[in-house]
Amino acid sequence: MKTKLVLNFNPEASNRPITHDLIAKHGLLVNILRAEIDEVGGKMVIEVSGKAESIKNGIDYLKDSGVGVRPIKEGVRRDDDACIHCGVCISICPTNALTLDRKTRKVVFIEEKCVACGVCIDACPPRAMEILI
Amino acid sequence: MKQQKRSGGKEGPSKSHSDIRRKASDGDAVVMTAMEFKEFVRSNGVEKAAREVDLVTTATFGAMCSSGAYFNVGHSDPPIKMQRAWLDGVPAYAGLAAVDIFLGATELDETNNMLHGGAHVIEDLVRGKAVRLRATAHGTDCYPLREIDTYVSLKTMNQAVLMSPRNAYQNYVAATNSSAKTLYTYMGKLLPEFGNATYSCAGELSPLLNDPYYRTIGIGSRIFLGGGDGFVVWEGTQFNPGVARTPRGVPKRPSGSLAVIGDLKQMTGDFVKGLTFTRYGASLGIGIGVPIPIIDEDMANACSITNDKIVTGLFDYAQQRRSRPCLRDVTYEELSSGEIEVEGKTVPTSPLSSIYKARQIAEILKKRILKGEFEVTEPVQRLPMDRPLRPLEVRSEKEAMQ
Repeated sequence: MKTKLVLNFNPEASNRPITHDLIAKHGLLVNILRAEIDEVGGKMVIEVSGKAESIKNGIDYLKDSGVGVRPIKEGVRRDDDACIHCGVCISICPTNALTLDRKTRKVVFIEEKCVACGVCIDACPPRAMEILI
Repeated sequence: MKQQKRSGGKEGPSKSHSDIRRKASDGDAVVMTAMEFKEFVRSNGVEKAAREVDLVTTATFGAMCSSGAYFNVGHSDPPIKMQRAWLDGVPAYAGLAAVDIFLGATELDETNNMLHGGAHVIEDLVRGKAVRLRATAHGTDCYPLREIDTYVSLKTMNQAVLMSPRNAYQNYVAATNSSAKTLYTYMGKLLPEFGNATYSCAGELSPLLNDPYYRTIGIGSRIFLGGGDGFVVWEGTQFNPGVARTPRGVPKRPSGSLAVIGDLKQMTGDFVKGLTFTRYGASLGIGIGVPIPIIDEDMANACSITNDKIVTGLFDYAQQRRSRPCLRDVTYEELSSGEIEVEGKTVPTSPLSSIYKARQIAEILKKRILKGEFEVTEPVQRLPMDRPLRPLEVRSEKEAMQ
């Protein structure tokens, strides 16, 4: 199975090799979608894939390490009323989560493909895209 | 400048504009959207299409920067002759009599908020919202009030009129970026190293691309504007009919454009939309629909144009000069396929113009004509074919008069 997690950690936890441990000790595939760090700590958005039990153990390990863990269902939301279906976003989305339906010419947002990188947010002329993490 | 000659009007039997208008007002006209008409021509040929179809509805929806609206906000007591005015913090031009003000779509909020501009205020008004009006004045014997702070809406204002100097461009360039950094432009976010390309034209649905020599669209043409009725009032600014054209007469670069007017009170938020281009500012998304009467076979042929026959130039916006090098000519069929080749690289493309909305407008306009809700008009004056496009140079007073 696959799940997306938002990790919040304080400066102490920032020094621990948590991604390495998730991979090496818990056998998970880790894809880092976003990472930010500053003087008060850090935030990471990761997608982990592996067996359900390994993911549970990995989350427990993170919590034991003092890392705040929050699973996310959606990272970016589209306001369907605001979208004008122009298509500006389709060529900048790195994962093709935003595509133009060739028949209807509507912009389709495939949330499963979205990695919440946020490049579409400030590219959208009617400001229909919102990042939630 | 090469002067273009109008062509057309010589082939086959013709119908007069007034015949078509009469049929439309009697509810007998055969009306097709541009999409339907192209399909009809593909199956039945131009001759049959010219004989059987009376009107074709064309449309576009996109960011149109040279747009604005004027308002008469009514007189206060005591009265004021507004010198400076702001609508929701966006400066409006008040140098017109006492209480007439003009709000430009790209004017930005004075709090240095590039996300909010005149276009957003215009959309808010269209959506029925009240906006804050502040104004200051010198004060005169006849207009003693020097300051006012109040709210206005479309319900409180006497006139609220969309008046755009340049809309519905006949073709527009495509943009890309060869540099190593992301560029934020009115053509959208252009990713480094030819990371993407954008284009801003409804292509085969676009009004002036279906009437390349302005044979039927002219001053006085009634149009669909932002959801209500509007009119073409003049040639649009930067009107430039002398650009190179394809063998079918379609301009290969930005060419004609329309100055349009319409009652903001009739418009809807679906077709009047405040847009933000990061680090560029605001622009207004407007929906425009124009019915084209099929007066003869040449007109039918012009309206049968498809994206594979419409060309534009791809320009490198990394060159921050008036004349950018053209990287290549490209058809709208290629652009709308989702990717094009640029210097050996496959580059993803994005439209800035909403084909989805343009199709909606073409459908709505067709229905309005069929129901007798939209009266088709004949232009009272044709658009020119002899306008040069002049640049702005730094000149002396004497040079400017030559």
